[in-house]
Amino acid sequence: MRRVAVVGIGHTFFGNLSEFDLVDVLAFASGNALDDAGILAERKIIEQVIVANIGGGILSHQTGIASSLVSRMDMEPAMAELVENGPASGASAVKLGFMAVASGMVDTVMVTGGELMRTVTGWEATDFVATLLHPEAEYNLGLTLPAFGGMFTRMYMERYGVTERELAMVAVKDHDNAAKNPFAHVQIPVTLDAIHDNENANVVNNFVAEPLRLYGMCPVTDGAATVILCAADSPKMKYFTKRPPVYITGIGSATDTHCVHNRKDPLVLDAVRLAAERAYAMAKLTPADISFAELHDAFVILELAISEEVGLFPRGKSREAVVAGVTRLEGRMPINTSGGLKAKGHPTGATGVSQVFELVKQLRGGAAKENRQVKDPKHGLAVNFGGFGNNVVATICSKEPTW
Amino acid sequence: MVDFSMYEEAVPSVFAYKCPTCGTLYHPVPMVCRKCNARRDPSGVIYSAWEKVPLEGRCRLLTWTRVWNLPEGYDVKYLLFGIAEFENGLRASGRLLVDDPETGMSLYAKAGVVKKKGDKELYGLMLDRTP
Amino acid sequence: MAGEELETKLRPPLLDMKPYPPKVITLASGEKMVVREAKRSELGVLLGSIYPLLGAPRDFYDLVAARMYGELLAWYRYRVVNEFVLVGAIDGVIGGIVNSRMVDSRVGMSYHTIAIERGLRVGAQLFAAKMEHHLDYLGQEEVWIVAESPIGFKRWMIEYELEDRSSQFPKVWHELGGVPTFVLTRKLYDAVKSQKVTGSRPVDPALLATADKLKMPTEYPQLPGFKRERS
Repeated sequence: MRRVAVVGIGHTFFGNLSEFDLVDVLAFASGNALDDAGILAERKIIEQVIVANIGGGILSHQTGIASSLVSRMDMEPAMAELVENGPASGASAVKLGFMAVASGMVDTVMVTGGELMRTVTGWEATDFVATLLHPEAEYNLGLTLPAFGGMFTRMYMERYGVTERELAMVAVKDHDNAAKNPFAHVQIPVTLDAIHDNENANVVNNFVAEPLRLYGMCPVTDGAATVILCAADSPKMKYFTKRPPVYITGIGSATDTHCVHNRKDPLVLDAVRLAAERAYAMAKLTPADISFAELHDAFVILELAISEEVGLFPRGKSREAVVAGVTRLEGRMPINTSGGLKAKGHPTGATGVSQVFELVKQLRGGAAKENRQVKDPKHGLAVNFGGFGNNVVATICSKEPTW
Repeated sequence: MVDFSMYEEAVPSVFAYKCPTCGTLYHPVPMVCRKCNARRDPSGVIYSAWEKVPLEGRCRLLTWTRVWNLPEGYDVKYLLFGIAEFENGLRASGRLLVDDPETGMSLYAKAGVVKKKGDKELYGLMLDRTP
Repeated sequence: MAGEELETKLRPPLLDMKPYPPKVITLASGEKMVVREAKRSELGVLLGSIYPLLGAPRDFYDLVAARMYGELLAWYRYRVVNEFVLVGAIDGVIGGIVNSRMVDSRVGMSYHTIAIERGLRVGAQLFAAKMEHHLDYLGQEEVWIVAESPIGFKRWMIEYELEDRSSQFPKVWHELGGVPTFVLTRKLYDAVKSQKVTGSRPVDPALLATADKLKMPTEYPQLPGFKRERS
């Protein structure tokens, strides 16, 4: 396998972009990454474009989106395909881009993930995301991803004793980080008093899917992100002198049962653990080597559960790390320095790519100017959670190659 | 001959499926048996379509939620949902008709109408108090 | 007819309206929003706060601003009877305004809700305060409601389970025009009150004093690049 370097990254503002065309939004992130890589004028050296998007056909009434992006960016005749893996589409697209380069088939890939979710009402967006569920056994009942988030939160609280206050602390951390991230959807810091302790908190932070509350779940967001990959041994690396390369040293994914009720133990996220194990094995690393992580906190409980499943904390014990401040920016294991899905936002097709964007930015030292730099990071882990945990991708990026 | 029963008023039903070779029960039904690799053909032409077994009866509530933000098409304040386990070990998600549920409580599952798609009624599992 | 007599003829009879007791809500950001009744003498700052939104077409802001502008002027000049206005102020700066009126002792007619501050559910809190005033403090039995924004309206319809009286048109006909009219009855209000209405009373005098002199916002999320020409 060839070494794969990330040589350019780009991002749009996350928020309400529904007045814009979907492919324009994808193209804007792409242009930002090409600029970052220093190859805007030489963009035709990109041989393969991979786009991550779930809902273009449903929400924007557009299909053939990857082909459309190539033309919008005047990047013909690059090869181009769309990848869909629910909310893990972005990381899957990065994985397939990695595979294309690592296998030797191409030297350069541009991966762009994006979604416009605010082109429809919140109820329609909820319904659209719910199409990930099993049609007869789950979707027809009216179940939604937040409903499973609520049930998962309840089970987790009953088994491990995590409290609503501890979940609120995770939200406070995410908002603090997002307030410093110029691309984040929600840049308003929130206080623990306001969303939990205060007597008004029950209404201000109302239930969405009990016991999950408003400030325990991500907003509905539009946006796009892009990463550009190049084989580290390719002569084309001569084009990429503007920024230090960062390496994708490990990447893996795994699936689990479609229906949540058929998991062996619904609280054990087998797909997360296996995806991470595969990524660690490829990178020849262990959880102890990880400096920071971007974990898929569409519901804040998932930040806790995933951090345990990937081995950053013992099972059931991540709440102690939250209380001790270990996962804050200045802590030993910063998690979701971007603000996470909770406050940065979650345009479903973009998220996985946005997570890799953040890993690369931190490893380059690029978050320093935003006052949210992790101290001397070496390896970052991203986990992108598809469906309700039935298809998960884990990606490890490193400042230096590990193989 | 024609099966005229198809014109009778439909009764809400939710089924588990039984592998014709090893008898394992499934909900929802796969296309290959996990235990004995027997294949299923929904049309029943090449392989068996597998026997349908009504999914109903006593069960235990494993977890639940009250959802306040529902998808498009549900114009009610909230709905309750739960995951229940039957005595035979099968599990299923269902609509919870109990307003003050508790994890571990005994329930009775029965099929009900969950929504309408045009003229067609769609069925799902309703979890209610034991009679 | 003498001028004063004409003026009296044009002013409809007033009902005895109990004042709204101020409360404070801690918003998610930790900021404290004082919710209190506005006085007629504060019309200038209210109108000045709404005025820029006449140029914001997204989410029906322009229409709601235009209608509220007229309703506030009518309130001031006694051409709409028994109207009340509540404001939400954060450090004295107006974050949102709601207005409404009593038709009689039983029925309230909800007018409008404008949230200037975004991202902190100010609109939802002020709408709930408006219903609180009608039903808890003015002692009414039901409030008639319509809305310009279909999304906003659907939210109220679902979250408050409003009673649909559109089939009783024209007997039930909201003053703002059109069908359908939905109604929040006392029974429906009592069922949602604990989830919708919040706030702490009494307000600490020092905090209340920050809302004594209301200020117009200097920024509008709805109008990027807005600059207020005169303070």
